[in-house]
Amino acid sequence: MRNTMKVAKWEIKRNLKNKTFLIGLFLTPAIIIGFMVLGTLFGDSEEEETAVTTIYIQDQLDIFPVIEETVSQSGLNWDLQMTEIEESEVQNAIENSENTAYLFIDERAIDEGIVPVYTSEEIDPFFTNQLQLLETPLQTIQMQQLDLSEEEIATLSRGVMFQEASNETDESSTETTTSGFNEGLMERIIPGAFAGFIMLSIVFTGMAIFQSASQEKKDKIAEIILSSLTPADLMQGKIVGYFVLGIIQAVVSIALVLPVLLWRIDIPIVDYLFVPELVILIAIAILGFLLFASIFVGIGATMTDMTTAGNFQGMVMMLPFLPFIFIGPVTSDPSGLMAQIGTYIPFTTPGVLLLRLSMLEEWPWIEIIIAVAILIVSVWIFMKLAGKIFKVGILMYGKNATPGEIWKWLRA
Amino acid sequence: METMLTVKDLGKSFKDTQVLHNISFEVRKGEIMAILGPNGAGKSTTIRNIMGIMYPDTGSISFHGHDDIPRHRIGYLPEERGLYKNVKVMDILLYLAELKDYPLQKAKERALNYLKKFDLEGKENVSVEELSKGMGQKVQFIASIIHEPELLILDEPFSGLDPVSQELFKDEIRNLAEKGTAILLSSHQMNLVEEMADRLFMIHRGQKVIYGSMDDVKREYANFKCTIHGKNDHTDFEHLANVERVEQDGNTSILYLDKEVQPTSWLKGLPDGLDIQELRIDRITLHEIFIAIATGKNLMQERGEANA
Repeated sequence: MRNTMKVAKWEIKRNLKNKTFLIGLFLTPAIIIGFMVLGTLFGDSEEEETAVTTIYIQDQLDIFPVIEETVSQSGLNWDLQMTEIEESEVQNAIENSENTAYLFIDERAIDEGIVPVYTSEEIDPFFTNQLQLLETPLQTIQMQQLDLSEEEIATLSRGVMFQEASNETDESSTETTTSGFNEGLMERIIPGAFAGFIMLSIVFTGMAIFQSASQEKKDKIAEIILSSLTPADLMQGKIVGYFVLGIIQAVVSIALVLPVLLWRIDIPIVDYLFVPELVILIAIAILGFLLFASIFVGIGATMTDMTTAGNFQGMVMMLPFLPFIFIGPVTSDPSGLMAQIGTYIPFTTPGVLLLRLSMLEEWPWIEIIIAVAILIVSVWIFMKLAGKIFKVGILMYGKNATPGEIWKWLRA
Repeated sequence: METMLTVKDLGKSFKDTQVLHNISFEVRKGEIMAILGPNGAGKSTTIRNIMGIMYPDTGSISFHGHDDIPRHRIGYLPEERGLYKNVKVMDILLYLAELKDYPLQKAKERALNYLKKFDLEGKENVSVEELSKGMGQKVQFIASIIHEPELLILDEPFSGLDPVSQELFKDEIRNLAEKGTAILLSSHQMNLVEEMADRLFMIHRGQKVIYGSMDDVKREYANFKCTIHGKNDHTDFEHLANVERVEQDGNTSILYLDKEVQPTSWLKGLPDGLDIQELRIDRITLHEIFIAIATGKNLMQERGEANA
């Protein structure tokens, strides 16, 4: 164990002194931030290209100034107009216009929390989302108007609904889109995304284990090192070392990205983040890391170079990306068959489980327990197997191991 | 002399081929013991078994009479060697010393001393990848002795070194032996081994061929031989006294002489009719014994036949 820690310490120190690692350490969050900023930049320019969205508000609650202020603060490209148009006349008015919407803010907004919205055929695709912005001022009005009796609070907590009315269908069958942030969902998605991010960063750093193991062969230092400690010490040291490096990567990324995220997105992320579920999610992420780390360290010991990797090694390297196959089916049905299958395949367990737990309202505890048990057992098995491969492979210079040879080592 | 390392009846097989048969030898305190043999003879395998990098199928290895090998008291320079590329010289030396549980401050001092000794002064903060191959080998050598090992195992320490560095290594190895370090080295370069080793173990196809002190081996095997350049016929030499065997290649004849030969009187006995452009009389070198063994010519056997 002491030797393991020595190796781990060395790997950490070595990487932290390495320019490539340091650049990568800061580049990863920089790229994430870059995309976030770039995305909004492009978004802005697009908005400028598209025509201004003209919003006519039939305001019966004297809320127009507040809305105007909110809109100007948010920087939305909206042109707000007061109107006295009747709801029944709106169809004709909207017929030949583009990028126009009519909002009817009257008693319904207060009593039922519904604001009918009529939009022209051509409208900014994000318009509905943008409308959420008005939720806050409207809720404020609601609260002001009500004396907050129990019943009223119930009304209040229902949130505001924007009733979107299409001008093609009959008015009586206008579709209602619910909106307002579903707090419960955020509560799950944020820790899930956080754990997923941690897993991704340690798995990517974990790929460096592979580099490190094959480098050991390439630099021919393995035998010098192994004259002082056992292959198991070396292997575990590498896994522990790169785990810590992965955590460092995750912490640095989060420290840099989170402030930007908080600034760009108006969600109290921190409040949602530190919930008890986070512990379980992170535990799953760490198990996932250990699984892939043992696979990488084993495979890394069988080859000197990524470029000389055979099909077999190439396939194994792709294993961490297996969960991506399940993203589609799982997001469309988090409790469906595909989601359950993905939960029980060790290679996809961490990814699929994190995704599912982020989406499901009720956690399927039995499935979680079974999946985590499978994961723990497979981590144990793969560690053993990797140890066997590593022991022989690391001393094999000059050529890559064939799957046949690897199989023989495993049986030895 | 105190015996430090004892290897007894070592046997090892890979798949179905037995690569080591009953290898037994000792390394004593303060001596330089050489393992010699052609490529693939089993030298590195023997060494790896000693270092616990491989495990023998049969036989035992003991250190000071104890069966577990205290690795931190052994220094090892493997044949296939290298260093991490993108780290500083001092960092890697300290890491390797740390793995051997050697106090860091002392290791640092020793590292600086040795770097100076090996003409690498001021290179401690240079990245390993900037070193030349020879410099790299010097650093590896320092790494193997930085923790003051009691037993130093060097697998082909001279391969790839220029003559100046060879000399440097040789001096340092001798130096260490004088200070009491037991040294086990393997090499192809017979001239170096001949100069340095106190005892030698020659191995061929995994089996012992010769084992003994350098002086004994020389006395036993290194007889005189006479090399004559000139047009002579094979038959001219056949009736000469003390000649065991004659090898002829064009105008060069090599006469292998037996143990009892007196060079001066033997030279006087050479017939007058010989065509001698050049004549040289010297001892069979370790190099020749080595080549003879490696190419399958068993000198001992042939001599045995000649004597019979």
